[in-house]
Amino acid sequence: MALLRTESLTKAFGALTAVNGVTLEVQAGTLHSIIGPNGAGKTTLFNLLTGQFPPTSGRIVFDGRDITGTPAHRIAHLGLARSFQRTNVFPALSILDNVWIAAFARGRSWRGLVWRRSDGYAEVTERARVALADVGLADKADQPAREISHGEQRQLELAIALAAAPRVLLLDEPAAGLSPDETQKMVALVRGLKGRYTIVLIEHKMDIIMGVSDRVSVMHFGSLIAEGTPAEIQRNPEVRRAYLGGMVAE
Amino acid sequence: MLYALMGLGLSLITGVLNIPNFAHGALFAVGAYFLFSAIHAVGNFWLALVLAPVGVALLGLAIEYAGIRPLYAAGHDYQLLFTFGLSLILSEGIIVVWGPIGFSQLPPPLLRGGFDLGFIFYPKYRLFVMVMAGLLVLATWLFLEKTRYGAIMRAGIESKEMVSLLGIDVHRLFTAAFALGAYLAGIAGALTAPIRGLSPSMGVDMLGIAFVVVALGGLGNLLGAIAAGLIIGVAQAVVALYWTEASVAVIFAIMAAILLVRPQGLFGIR
Amino acid sequence: MSRAWLAVLAAAVLLPMAVRHALATEIWIFAIFGLGLNLLLGYTGLLSFGQSTFFGAAAYVAGYLLKHYETNVFAALGVGIVVGAVSAALVGYLCVRRSGLYFIMLTFALNQMFYFIAYQWTTVTGGEDGMPGIGRPALLGVDFRNPLAYYVFVAALFLLSLWIMQRIVESPLGKILQAIRENDVRAEAVGYDVPRFKLLAFVIGGAFSGLAGVLYSMLFGIVPLEAIGFVFSGNVLFATLIGGSGSFYGPIIGSFVFIWLSESVSVVWERWPLLLGVAFVIVVLFFRGGCVEAWARFWSWRERRRALAGIAQ
Repeated sequence: MALLRTESLTKAFGALTAVNGVTLEVQAGTLHSIIGPNGAGKTTLFNLLTGQFPPTSGRIVFDGRDITGTPAHRIAHLGLARSFQRTNVFPALSILDNVWIAAFARGRSWRGLVWRRSDGYAEVTERARVALADVGLADKADQPAREISHGEQRQLELAIALAAAPRVLLLDEPAAGLSPDETQKMVALVRGLKGRYTIVLIEHKMDIIMGVSDRVSVMHFGSLIAEGTPAEIQRNPEVRRAYLGGMVAE
Repeated sequence: MLYALMGLGLSLITGVLNIPNFAHGALFAVGAYFLFSAIHAVGNFWLALVLAPVGVALLGLAIEYAGIRPLYAAGHDYQLLFTFGLSLILSEGIIVVWGPIGFSQLPPPLLRGGFDLGFIFYPKYRLFVMVMAGLLVLATWLFLEKTRYGAIMRAGIESKEMVSLLGIDVHRLFTAAFALGAYLAGIAGALTAPIRGLSPSMGVDMLGIAFVVVALGGLGNLLGAIAAGLIIGVAQAVVALYWTEASVAVIFAIMAAILLVRPQGLFGIR
Repeated sequence: MSRAWLAVLAAAVLLPMAVRHALATEIWIFAIFGLGLNLLLGYTGLLSFGQSTFFGAAAYVAGYLLKHYETNVFAALGVGIVVGAVSAALVGYLCVRRSGLYFIMLTFALNQMFYFIAYQWTTVTGGEDGMPGIGRPALLGVDFRNPLAYYVFVAALFLLSLWIMQRIVESPLGKILQAIRENDVRAEAVGYDVPRFKLLAFVIGGAFSGLAGVLYSMLFGIVPLEAIGFVFSGNVLFATLIGGSGSFYGPIIGSFVFIWLSESVSVVWERWPLLLGVAFVIVVLFFRGGCVEAWARFWSWRERRRALAGIAQ
């Protein structure tokens, strides 16, 4: 059964239709990639899925439940966590606090919100530390987020999403702006998460996609033009003709 | 119409410079006092009406150059504190120079008296102010719409990067926008003087209204500011007929009510 | 107990020996006011230019009760805190969905609304003349008309406020508010209802302002119209910024500096707000970062000079 499903999802900004009638099914436990050139509407699709803004038309169904138009913070509680393409962390907070914030949000232990000291939440801190260990940042826990390298910030970005203990992980170009070395590390990281989470991955670097994906959907000018296994997509003449050739050359 | 004038100037400053200008009311008051002194100096109302706002614009020029320019990189908090401090200096400065007691200023002989419309007596001077403010708003609007400099200013509200990419000195644009905003506040103050007289606190009262106008018109939305200024002016006049004491508080209540329904303001897009 | 707390305690004990009791009391009242603003400004990143709304509203309501019904002190304080919180909830509800300049303007405009209500509603507030005749009823046999007794009472309430604020800041709520300050989009994305948390910060800040407002009205026996005016909002902002809005104890230092500054310039010249305005401008242009940073800079300068002196020898 599809864990996450969209039905002719559309988002128009004035005259520009950024996402156009996208119908997509993400099966539980798989890694589903969405590829397409910049401006194809991938990030907008994520913004719709996570409730950043409501769609113009169409539906989003998560785990059999219609979540169309639900505000972002509620969707997060349902178990959809995302990372951002442009690093989007809490700069002045420590690495641990960055992750702690996300872990606490999922815990919903609101009762002691004001009165208990935040270091009194051992289980939240523990979950945060596990998430940091998962991405390899455990030893930097006390540094402020703004002081670490760009590559490490990308790892932190991922850890914040993980700490929310999500059921679906939406990763928006986790390797954006990384060097080839760092990209390799990130790919290994994502591969390690495969199976533990249902993952939706946005990428435009082909080498990342083809190695790790179970399914690949291709987006072009706001619409889905193809879907299949990585091998099928690579063979698909329409996809190749449309623009894949150009991307491979890149 | 005067509210539209104030709102337009403030909207220009907040829009282009992206700073909270809490000295806008003080500039308004300074405009009125400059007029008062200019009349005494040159003995001619019309000449004074030309000179006073120019003086305020020059003051604005100096303020932007010396004080606000170093603060663009600082946060809104320090910008606010600066313009707030400035507002204290200007309004207290007025008391130091002109004394704590207000003055009344007669309109020029030509505009004294009024028209008897049968049911209501309308002073000539008020009519003059209405026409004058209307012309000024129109002139400012034409300047912004039709001239090259106006186009640059409007572009400055949209995107500073674009303007600087076009090879235009953004700092000069900011200075010009602040001076123009100050000019509009100054002439609004000067025009008001013969209607309400002069008092050191006149600026603060006007400041709140100017912010309401900008908030309702939408930040940086110049046409919105003009429209909101007119609406507020009319609303206040109507309320004043029935419940004079509350007419000022009602302006703010109207704003609060509108913002409940339309949080982005009447004409705001953001 | 930390060193900072010891320093604050020492200051609370020593202050009434150094300056007039009324002045010492005013410093702590202003510090409570500043604590409330700092939760918004320093922790949540909300630049509210309307804090005197909550301060003044609480002062008027509690002052009215004290004046006409000679209410119990604790009841008056309780009412003031509630009025501060409720007025902050009203203002916050309209403001929290806006950001940047729009937010500042709205807090200010709503402040002006309350100001004009107080200005015109002369039968209750006394308008420009203020609302005089507010007493300080005795509590548990202690006569608060004695300035020292009232000082001790206020200082104790300040310490209590400081402790409560510290608990709030160190609680998960404090961390969430800081996360919102740092990046509200991400805070929303990980599952926090950002406007609601901002509103909560507003309400808490308003409650602190309300407490300060009531104590203020009892200190001077009058609620002046200025207590709800925008200059007051600006003053507390100045005090918080000059103390260093980034630090927890900043508002205390700021309150000391501000009250001392306004007291000393008011002796110099009748038109002291002008000098105060000059002080604002100078601080903004040359001492951004506030006292805490200026102090740090002074220390590093001294250290360097010492080091140089060492080399010279």
